[in-house]
Formats: sequence, C-alpha cells, structure tokens
Amino acid sequence: MSVLTDERRERTDGRPLLEISHLQTSFYTDKEVIRAVDDVSFDIHPGETVGIVGESGSGKSVTARSIMGLIESPGRIDGGAVKFRDLDTVRRFAKKYDKRTVDVTDEALAEAKGNDAETDADAFRSLVSKKDFVFVEERNGDEITAGYVDTTRAPDGAMRNVRGGGIAMVFQDPLTSLNPVYTVGNQIKESLRIHRGLSGQAATEKAIDLLEAVGIPDAARRVREYPHQFSGGMRQRAVIAMALACDPELLICDEPTTALDVTIQAQILELLDDIQEERDLGIMFITHDMGVIAEIADRVNVMYAGEIVETAGAVDLFENPRHPYTRGLLQSIPGTQGPDERLRTIEGDVPTPNEKPTYCRFAPRCPEAFDACDRVHPVPVAVNEDAADHAAACLLYPEDRSREDAVTLHDEQGKGETDAKTSGTTTGGATSDGTAADGGDTQ
Amino acid sequence: MSKQTAMESEATATTGETLVEVRNLKKYYEGGGMFGGDPVKAVDGVSFDIQKGETLGLVGESGCGKTTLGRTLVQLEDATDGEIHFDGRDITSISGEELKAWRQDTQMVFQDPESSLNDRMTVGEIVREPLDVHDWKTPQERRARVRELLETVGLREEHYYRYPHQFSGGQRQRIGIARALALEPDFIVLDEPVSALDVSVQAKVLNLLEDLQNEFGLTYLFIAHDLAVVRHICDRVAVMYLGNIMELGPADDLFDSPSNPYTHALLSAIPEPDPTSKRDRITLRGTPPSPRDPPEGCPFSTRCPVKIKPEEYRDLDDELWTRIEVLREVIRERSRAERSLSDRARELLGMETRYSSIEEIREEVFGDVAVPSRVETHIDEVADYVRAGKEAEARRYLFEEFGSECDYERPELYDVDGVQSVSLCHRHQSEHEEPATVYERQLSASGSK
Ligand code: SF4
Ligand code: SF4
Repeated sequence: MSVLTDERRERTDGRPLLEISHLQTSFYTDKEVIRAVDDVSFDIHPGETVGIVGESGSGKSVTARSIMGLIESPGRIDGGAVKFRDLDTVRRFAKKYDKRTVDVTDEALAEAKGNDAETDADAFRSLVSKKDFVFVEERNGDEITAGYVDTTRAPDGAMRNVRGGGIAMVFQDPLTSLNPVYTVGNQIKESLRIHRGLSGQAATEKAIDLLEAVGIPDAARRVREYPHQFSGGMRQRAVIAMALACDPELLICDEPTTALDVTIQAQILELLDDIQEERDLGIMFITHDMGVIAEIADRVNVMYAGEIVETAGAVDLFENPRHPYTRGLLQSIPGTQGPDERLRTIEGDVPTPNEKPTYCRFAPRCPEAFDACDRVHPVPVAVNEDAADHAAACLLYPEDRSREDAVTLHDEQGKGETDAKTSGTTTGGATSDGTAADGGDTQ
Repeated sequence: MSKQTAMESEATATTGETLVEVRNLKKYYEGGGMFGGDPVKAVDGVSFDIQKGETLGLVGESGCGKTTLGRTLVQLEDATDGEIHFDGRDITSISGEELKAWRQDTQMVFQDPESSLNDRMTVGEIVREPLDVHDWKTPQERRARVRELLETVGLREEHYYRYPHQFSGGQRQRIGIARALALEPDFIVLDEPVSALDVSVQAKVLNLLEDLQNEFGLTYLFIAHDLAVVRHICDRVAVMYLGNIMELGPADDLFDSPSNPYTHALLSAIPEPDPTSKRDRITLRGTPPSPRDPPEGCPFSTRCPVKIKPEEYRDLDDELWTRIEVLREVIRERSRAERSLSDRARELLGMETRYSSIEEIREEVFGDVAVPSRVETHIDEVADYVRAGKEAEARRYLFEEFGSECDYERPELYDVDGVQSVSLCHRHQSEHEEPATVYERQLSASGSK
C-alpha cells in the first residue's frame, strides 16, 4: 500500500489531484438563465475526501456533472477550469492529442512575456489556442513532470476516456450505471478490457476479485447474475466494483447512499473508507445528509444557490460553523437542539440564481442580514486571521475586522475577481481567492 | 432515570386512554410465479396499542413491513388475520355505512407529495374532495372549510385555485396534510411525511405537525426511516424487522438504552452530524432475508451479531463462528436462488453452471482461520451435499448442527429490566446474558485487536 501511495503522491507532486477554479455552469431556458454553478472553486488532493453538502437546487450535482463533462443542452459551462492533474492521464493525452497540447512552462510564459504580453494571464492567453486542453507546466527533458487536463475544454472522446479511467462516478441510483441486459460480470469485464486490456479467463478472475473486494459473498456465482438479481445495497457495491475496475484516481460519489437503508449505508461508507485507504483515492462526496458528511469527509464545502458559502475541515465546520446558512442548516437537524425543543427553521425558500449576484443570495432569509448585504456580493474570505483553512462568503467576516472594513474587503475582492475571471484561465498553481485552494492536507 | 422521564412525558402527551388496539395482526400477500406459492409475510403477527393523543413511531428498513402495517391500520389493505380495535370496535369486520363513517376518523398522509396529489385538480379541489365524498354540509360551507384548512397549514387563500405543480415539496406536503385534516379525524397515519424534503423544509413541516396535534388532539402513527426525526417527534417507538415488532418502548428509553439486538445495530448505523463522535458501530452482515422465506426462529437470526450459540459450541472463537454463519448464508442464498431452465439443463448434463464449486467457497470462507476437526467434519458433510446438488439438505444439516434456539424458536416479547420497553429476543431470559453485555464484550475485544 505504501509503495502505491508514494507513487501516487509523486504523480501529482504535492499538487491537488483536481483543481476547480471559477467554475460557471448555466442552464438556458426560454424563460430564464439559471446560474446553477456560479463561480465555484475548490481542490481535491489524493487520499482526501471532500464533501459537498447542500439542499436541492444548491448546484452540488451540477458541479459533479460539470467536472465529468456530463452537462447537456440547455446547460453549458460558461467559464472556469477543472484541472485534472493525474500525470498518467496528462502524459497519455499529451501523446494522443499532441496537437491540442500546449506548453505553459515557466520558460514558455517568460518567452511570451518577452514578446509583448504584460501579465502572466496575458502571456498564458497568448500561448493557448481555443482547442488546447492538455497543459504542460513542467518538463524534464522529454518527460512531462507537471501538468493537467482541463476537463471543461476536453472533447467528448477524451472525456469518455477520463470518465472510465482517471475519474469514476457513483450515482444515487445504481441502475443508471448498470445495463439490465448484461450480467454484472460482463459489465465489469468490459471495463477491464477497455482500461486494463484484460480479457477471457484473466478478466473473469479479476472481476470476481473485485466483487469480493467490495464485499459481495459467493462472488463466483454472483458474477454471472444480472443486476435485477441483486439487492439495492449489492447493486451499489457492484457499481463501485465497476468503478474500481478502471483503477481511478478520483471517485465522484453523488448521493451514493441516499436510496439505501441505514445499515446498508453503513456498509457502503465503510467500504469506501477501506478502498480509499488501500488505493489513496481522492473522493468527492455529494450529499444533503449532514450526518453522512460528518462521517466521511475530511473537508466540507457548503453550497447555497450555486455558490460555495463556507469551506472548512470537517471537525472545524461542525464545531464552529460560521456562515449563517450553515448554522441554520445544522440547527434544523432534529436532535441537535435537545429532543424536546422546537426545531429551528430557516425562513423562506431557496432562490433560483438567475442573475450575476451584486448582493448576498442568502440575505432574504438571513437572520443576521444588515444593509450592506443587499448591495455587496460576499466572496469567500478567511473567517479570521488565524483561520487560513476556514473561509466563509459572508460580509460578517473576517470577524476580526470592523464591519466596515470587512464590507470594503468583500467589495474590492469581488471586483478584483471579476477582472481575473474575464481575463480567462489563470496560470497553474493555486487559485487566487485563497478559499478552497488551501484545501490540502487536513489529515 | 429514563423510567421517570418516560412516565412524565407520556403523562403530558396522552390521556392514558387507548385509541387503537392491534392484536396478532398479519398481512400476507399470496405469492405468484412458477416456483412455489409461498406468501410474502409482510406483517407477521404484531400486537400493540396506541394511546389517545400520542405519537407512536414505526421505524425499520425498507421491506420490514412498516408501510403495509400503516396501510392495514387505515384499511387500505385487508388484514389476513388478527384484530384491529378502534375505540373498542373491531374494524376488520365492519362494512358499508359503518366503514364509511369510520373512514372519516382515520386518514393517511403519504411520503411523496408529488405523486399523491392529482395534478389536474386545483389545490382547493384536492382539499375539498374528502368533504365532497362524505357529503359534508353544504357546498358553500365546504369552500369556507377549505379556506380555513389552507390557513391552518400555513398556505394562503389565493392558493385555492393553483395547481400542485406550482408548489415546492414542502408546500405540497402541507396540501396533503390539509386534505387529511378536512374531516376532523382523530387518527392520522403519516407515512414518511418528511423523507422527500430538504432538512430546513422538513423542520417546518415537523413543527406544523406538532402544532396541529396540540390544537386538535390528534393521534399519530408516524412511519419513518430517519431515526433522528422519529426521536424528535414520537412519544413511543416500535422497531420493525421482517414483519415483526422487535422492540417497543418510550422514545427516550429506546434511543438511550436499546434492548433488542436489532435496535442496537440500527441505532449504531445512523451517522451523527458530529465528526468527532467516537461511537462504536455494529456493522451488520448481508441483507434481510426474503419475507417469502423468513427464518423459522427469530426473524433477526440470520444476521444477529449476538445470536446465542448452541451449548456445545459456546467456546468457539467468535471469528470462526461468524464464518460458519457466512457459510450458512451462502448455502441459504443458493438454495433459494431461482435457477433458469438452462442452468438446470446444464446441471443435469453435468456441464459447468454459474455456481462456483464448494471447494472455492470453503477457501473463500474458511481460508484464513483455523478450523478444529469437530467443526471440520460437519463442513465435510455439508460439502458432500452441495457437490451432490442437494443444497436444501446442506442447509438443513447446518441448521441442525449449528442452530440454537435463535434458529428454531420464535422469541416472545419480553419486558426488559430497567426500562419500559418490550423486546423480542431470547436473550432477555434470565439464563442468557443480555444483548448489551454481549455487544460490549465484542466491541472491547475488537478494539483491543
Ligand atoms: S452576507 Fe449578510 S445576508 Fe449574507 S449571510 Fe452574511 S450576514 Fe447574512
Ligand atoms: S433471539 Fe437470538 S437471534 Fe434473535 S435477536 Fe435475540 S439473540 Fe439475536
């Protein structure tokens, strides 16, 4: 296991495995534009579980689908980048799509600047053409030693390859991932054939191994059965086995246990934990269930109306929620306020984000709203000077500044960010807003 | 302590009069299909009372029979056997006008506000429908009543002419509740009323349900799988598994000191919204057995981690014992698996089928544990049966050799010491250790490993 771990760490060289910056996904209908994901940034490191929590309409599932290249019309990714930094994938794609690979190494940037680009961002733009999606940041001789694939720019064919290979996804309903007319074994073997080049007896044996690894008893019999012969929990295990068949670096789980009973949910959460430990997987875990998030996540992002409103290490977030929405959400869970107390509620309903926000989207429901909340859009800032790893998008923070200073800070940073965004993709490395980019090693 | 609080809370919540009395209720569905006509035993002999003004929670995992039980109580399903007394009257045998009159007193609210409301009717029509059906007063009075109901559940008068799809999930559930209240019932079965709602919306609907209960003196049967919700809203709770009530007691007793082995496991599986929580989890093996083929003895016996071992094997290592149970499960599954005609043909022709050999299974199950010869000889016997294609016999052999009273005798509901709960488990008899004691020992053993 440790060998694998070291090797994997080497593959991303201490950088995040997945880096999402200023992601912007909208749905265009006749009546309106819904800004389902509105300027979302966060990172996922190898071996880390990042939880995304929010109520329906918060944009959490659209975030996952955007990463995976699964947004369909009338939806569209309008901006931002999703950088998948698995070196294996980068090297493979750089070979296969060499015409769509671009060097953005320090030297290349310096050269571009020497020509006539003024800023790094300008230099970056001058190098990159519209079709490029494989970015090389460092080379050692001929070998690529750092870089990323931007999944928001990748063509369908490449994305299919990523989906089966580097990034795998587990949905709420296992039947959406399983084909009813093929046996479970055949579906796993298909994956093994495409991604590991296994076939015949070797593939069958590997499929049985995988089913055993996800805790399906009598796997040699089960491998020849059809999805309908499996119980709900077993089906979800089979989907996880399929995901593992392609040996992914990152697993995106969208409410994978929501349809399951608690005792079965407990089994699946335990399984994910074991798999992660064994393979040093990065996991992005989407759910509306605060209990599940508390159990599985190292780091939590809270989404509201398309934005991340708070991000922190899991323990910190639950012990010390700062954003008024997070607080309200936690307090409305039965049992958190003592059994006989009346449940706290949040007034009003979740709004549909239709326009670029120039105000706080939570303001109409916020018990702590004040006048500036209607005219300044809060951006994610560290909640205080010592909390580099805990950010909230709320004008009450940083809490160690005067209210006026804090509002000014949000106002200015908001404007600054707009500039950065209109200037296109930022160069590699950390995102500029200091929110989730500090993600890192919470363990 | 818990006893005290339980009595107090019950005194405030109820009048002490019994409203619903259920005795040995069974609901079976006849099985179709080619292979055997075993009925599905959805509810398999349950007895309990519901007091006037209380909220009784009914919890359990999918397929445990809780929804069927709720539907049978309001006579949406006919009971196969047993009695349901409502205010002293057996309602399984009434019909005609009497049944119609009784139906006014009992209502049901469903989980999915989406599909339980007719989308072609306006909100006003939906809420008015039960009044129309029962010829309640004059049409004018009905309309006035609907307006009043909308206000009661927190909707506005102008919502009368809108359609359900124009509302959010929480508001649709309010419409469902208004409709259920129309005929001023005494008793409402709430089937997962907040499961489809977001947590902040759920809180509002739960508060509304509590307000309505206080205002109108309603009695609730609250069916849910979310145990935190149940603890919040219920006075007493019944835990179901495979058609049986495994434990029933005051909510505080049941949650703070569970008695039944299944309740222990269920509670330990709930993820708490606290990442620092160091609670020990009991992870159950496998899934519940089919209600077509429930165990002969205790319903939980195929998965119970604290199952009683037969006398002669009490000294066996826990790990080995678990493996024996796993083998039993594999054989049980096989003897039950429907074989396709081609499988049978292949078997008859001596061809390879989709069944792996017993040797492989043995290796998988016992490969890494030491098996003493007194166990080994029996496994050999079992292997012989399986090789001969006699899986039912293998299953029977295992049952006879390794079974205990948990396997062949259905336990009673025992009163439990120290709490007001009753629990269905042989371990409450004085000659056995209590489930909690055994769990504790297992957890401390696995912790020190
Ligand atoms: S910015 Fe204002 S309205 Fe928004 S969450 Fe903070 S205090 Fe509330
Ligand atoms: S009777 Fe036996 S199997 Fe059933 S719950 Fe009690 S100990 Fe477990």
